[in-house]
Parts: sequence; structure tokens; C-alpha cells
Amino acid sequence: MTDFRELLDGERLSAGEEARLRRVHDLLVEAGPPPELPAALAQPPSPGRGQVIRLPGSRRGRVVAFAAAAALAAAAFGGGYLTGHDSKQGRLAAVRVVRLHGGGASGVIRLGAVDRAGNWTMLVTVRGLPQLASSRRYELWLTRDGKRVASCGVFKAQGSATTVWFNVPYRIRPTDGWIVTKSGPGETGPGTVVMRA
Amino acid sequence: MAVVVPLRTMASVDPDGELLLRVAEGERAAFEALYARYARPVYGFALRRLGDRGRAEDAVQETFASIWRSARTYRPERGPAAPWLYAVARNAIADRGRTRGETPTEAPDAPGDDPSPLEHAEGSWVRWRLHRALEELPERERDVISLAYWRGLSQSEVATALGLPLGTVKTRTRSALSRLADLLEGELG
Repeated sequence: MTDFRELLDGERLSAGEEARLRRVHDLLVEAGPPPELPAALAQPPSPGRGQVIRLPGSRRGRVVAFAAAAALAAAAFGGGYLTGHDSKQGRLAAVRVVRLHGGGASGVIRLGAVDRAGNWTMLVTVRGLPQLASSRRYELWLTRDGKRVASCGVFKAQGSATTVWFNVPYRIRPTDGWIVTKSGPGETGPGTVVMRA
Repeated sequence: MAVVVPLRTMASVDPDGELLLRVAEGERAAFEALYARYARPVYGFALRRLGDRGRAEDAVQETFASIWRSARTYRPERGPAAPWLYAVARNAIADRGRTRGETPTEAPDAPGDDPSPLEHAEGSWVRWRLHRALEELPERERDVISLAYWRGLSQSEVATALGLPLGTVKTRTRSALSRLADLLEGELG
């Protein structure tokens, strides 16, 4: 252990100053070193990317925020969203709501709480995406720092609004984003981005 | 008669408060400066509470995302920024603990040590303040503190390691301790 007397040996200190410095010394010994930051935290997050609405944890707050998020979704979809999907939404206690945009389409990703195994349930509703040929599909991707890192699943769109459930095991960070691509058989690339959060 | 102090004046005596006000205005540079000052204290706090590096990383990300979103709710007239930031971090870490269905607990400081929750909370806060204050030290002073306290080197060994005269090492050590005492004035009791 670092010896306080050895540290300041030869220094002329008043009793008050010595007591003050000794208290800092004791705190340094007690606290230990701050940890080195891992590479993943070398840079601050990019909080401006996407729009994430984090709902409060309390039951009452969650209900209020849930209603606010639902109202936001309803506004985004011109009012037709809630009436068409009310029963299904009620089964997901969302902890985050993320909005998707692109072209004339819009969408909402509702994330449920992660389970003990690390799975996230996602309820995704998109509106305004054109129906594709039977051999083509849409795909939802998780993105980090602007790059796609994992697929959350594929889906087809039909009608004015489409709602699909996904379950993904990825670690999802507050600053992660999402994109929706469209692609078809024989296409070598990851598809064309049609929506993003 | 009460004296009305402009908010900006109050915040200016608290550098972190000033940064928070700028973050509230959407200034990215201020956010990055705040991150440079607090990332390690937040990470250390999260690591002790959650005991898992991956989850601690997530908690740091969540903390700073929350700071960005909530900076406008900070009121400098209610107090300095450090406790506000601590509360944001504590909540983010607790949320991260709850998502795994676990109650966040602080790792004991020593085997067999069983401090009360209040002592835990006070210990976390003081550790937080100390690690934050260390970020304020000039690098030359932080180096001597680091070598002496966490590598266990004697002052002579620090002098050898840094290629400095022993007197310079002692001067820097005293200066560092004094500067930390100034920065931690409220916590020294």
C-alpha cells in the first residue's frame, strides 16, 4: 500500500493541509483505479441518429408513455394504425419505440423488454410499402455506426399497413439504428434501402 | 431581498453544468467533452454494479444517450451537474440490471466486508467524484498518482520510471493531491 508519509516526506505542511491531503490519499487507496475504457467506448455514442423514445420504467409512467407513443404512431400513420392493430399491440409492453421513414413509407418498431436469455421481441408495423413480386422480399436490419450488423428478419408487405413480429437475440444498444431493404433471388448485394430509423 | 443570479453565471462556476447547458442546446462538441470527462467514471460505476463488461458498456451507452435526450431538464439553480449526471447513470445502470431480471448490487470492497446500503451508496458517489476529479488532473500529475497508487511504486521508483528527479516527482504528487482536494472539497468531510 502506498505510504502517505513516504509520498510527502520532506514537505513542510501545516497540520490542516496534511489532514486535507491525507483524506485524498485515503480516498485514492479506497477507490482504486478507474477502469480503462474498452475500445467500444473510445468514442461517444451518436445520439442524434434515429429517434428513440425510451419509456419510463414505472407501471403508471409506462402506461402514460405507451399511450404517448401510440398516439405518435397514430399520428404518423394518419390515424388508422390504432384501430387496425389495437389487440395485437396490447400484448407487447414496449420499452422503446423507434420510427422508420423512407420515400412515402413510414413505420414503427416497438421493442419489448429483453428476456433472461437475451432475446428481444419486436413488433414492426410499416405503412406505405408497395407490395413486391412474390419472389422479392423486405428485410429489417440492425445497424450500428451506419453499417448493417445483423438481419432481424424478412417480410412481405400487403395492403396499406403490415404488422410483423420478430424475435432477435442481438445485444441492442440505445444508439443502434434499423433499416429496411428490399431484395430478390439472384441479387448478390444486400438489397436496396427503402426505410431507415 | 433575494439576489437573482443569471443561470449562465451559476453554471459558469460549474464547468460540467456549463457543458450540460450546451448539450441541451444540441452542441455535439459539448457532449463529446462531457463524455471525455465522465465515460470512465460511468463505466467504473456500471462495472461495479453490474459485474459484467458487456452490460456495463451498454449502460454507458444508455447513460450518455439519456444525457443527450434529457440535458434540457437540468436546472443549474438546483445544484451542480455532478449529482444530476450521477443520478442519470444510476438509473441507466439500474435499468440495465432490471432487463436481465436481476437486482443490481454493488460488489463488496473486500471479502467479508458487509457495508450498509447507505455506505454502498456513499462509496459509489465518492468513487464517482474521485474518478471524475482524476480526469481533471494534468497528465503529468495523473501519471505520478497512477504509478504510486495503482502500480505500488515508491517515489524513487516513480522517478526512475518517468526519468524525472525525485524532487519533481514529490512536487507533482503534492500538487496532484492538493488539486484533488480542491476538486473534492464537498466530499472530504
